[in-house]
Amino acid sequence: MKGQMQIQQMAFMILAVFLFFILVGLFFLGVQFKDVKRSVVQLQTEQAISSLRVIADMPELNYESRESLSLDEDKLRIMSGNFGNYYSEFWPVASVKVYKLYPKFDELVECPALDCNYFKVYDNKQESVKTYSTYVSICKKIKETGYVYDKCEIGKLVVGVISK
Amino acid sequence: MKLESRRGQQEMVGFVLIVVLVMVGLMVFLIISVRNSPEPVNSLAIENMLDSIMKHTTECAIVFEPQFDNFEDLFKSCYEGDDCSNLDMSACDYLNESLRDVVGDLMDSEATVGAYQVDFFVRDGEGQQGLLRIVEGNCTGSSLAAQRSIVSGSESLVVRIKTCNKI
Repeated sequence: MKGQMQIQQMAFMILAVFLFFILVGLFFLGVQFKDVKRSVVQLQTEQAISSLRVIADMPELNYESRESLSLDEDKLRIMSGNFGNYYSEFWPVASVKVYKLYPKFDELVECPALDCNYFKVYDNKQESVKTYSTYVSICKKIKETGYVYDKCEIGKLVVGVISK
Repeated sequence: MKLESRRGQQEMVGFVLIVVLVMVGLMVFLIISVRNSPEPVNSLAIENMLDSIMKHTTECAIVFEPQFDNFEDLFKSCYEGDDCSNLDMSACDYLNESLRDVVGDLMDSEATVGAYQVDFFVRDGEGQQGLLRIVEGNCTGSSLAAQRSIVSGSESLVVRIKTCNKI
């Protein structure tokens, strides 16, 4: 009887120690896999940003086809007006919007308007849209005292895709 | 009876020892993982941000107005010790002032960025020589980075941006 009791005690002890080590192992694995999850999110974001480059480099938006991720402000003005409606079948996404980020502004002014900072190039009014964005240069030609130069500002291209 | 209670005590001490040992191990693991902040990961988002900053047209004209430098040219002008002819200040002073302004505004618009660091340095055979550093906030979480090389004569200038996520 006493022997059985001791065997039971030992069995419970071994079980407790075993469970304890399993918990420790799970904690360790949880910490390790957190980094893996972060890497997956990072990779998905990078893939989405690479796709944005394709849209930014389309001749309808690109500035002089010279550099990647440079948008032409004059083209943006035209596309964000009524002319953009003719392109409704063209864009492979739900929405294409461009914001100026620097110089900083207090309120959003939609183009075409004076001192505008927001270009709504295309929006098919989808409700469940997931947006991806990347930094771009918004450039235009300026003529000052007979000299023509490129003026570039910093903006963000925001593209919406229909979320499944 | 005495022998049994002593044996019970021994078992309890043994169990407590195991628990204490595992706890010490866990603490060491936690301290190491918190202290060793991970190496910054190269990020396409930060690379695009750096590219758009480099192309941004500044108000500094080295030769004549309106031939304004963009940031890429301004980094070169700063390294070469030029002055902004239209602003009565050195290219380096203007670079320091305007870069802080631009990067500060961009980082403010990023909800996830808790801290950032911008480094401008010359890389030669002997190592790196820092020319400008902008640091804002305290980096404790995971970090993303990107860098861009600019060639000025025979020298290789490097601009690096590192951002740290809010925890």
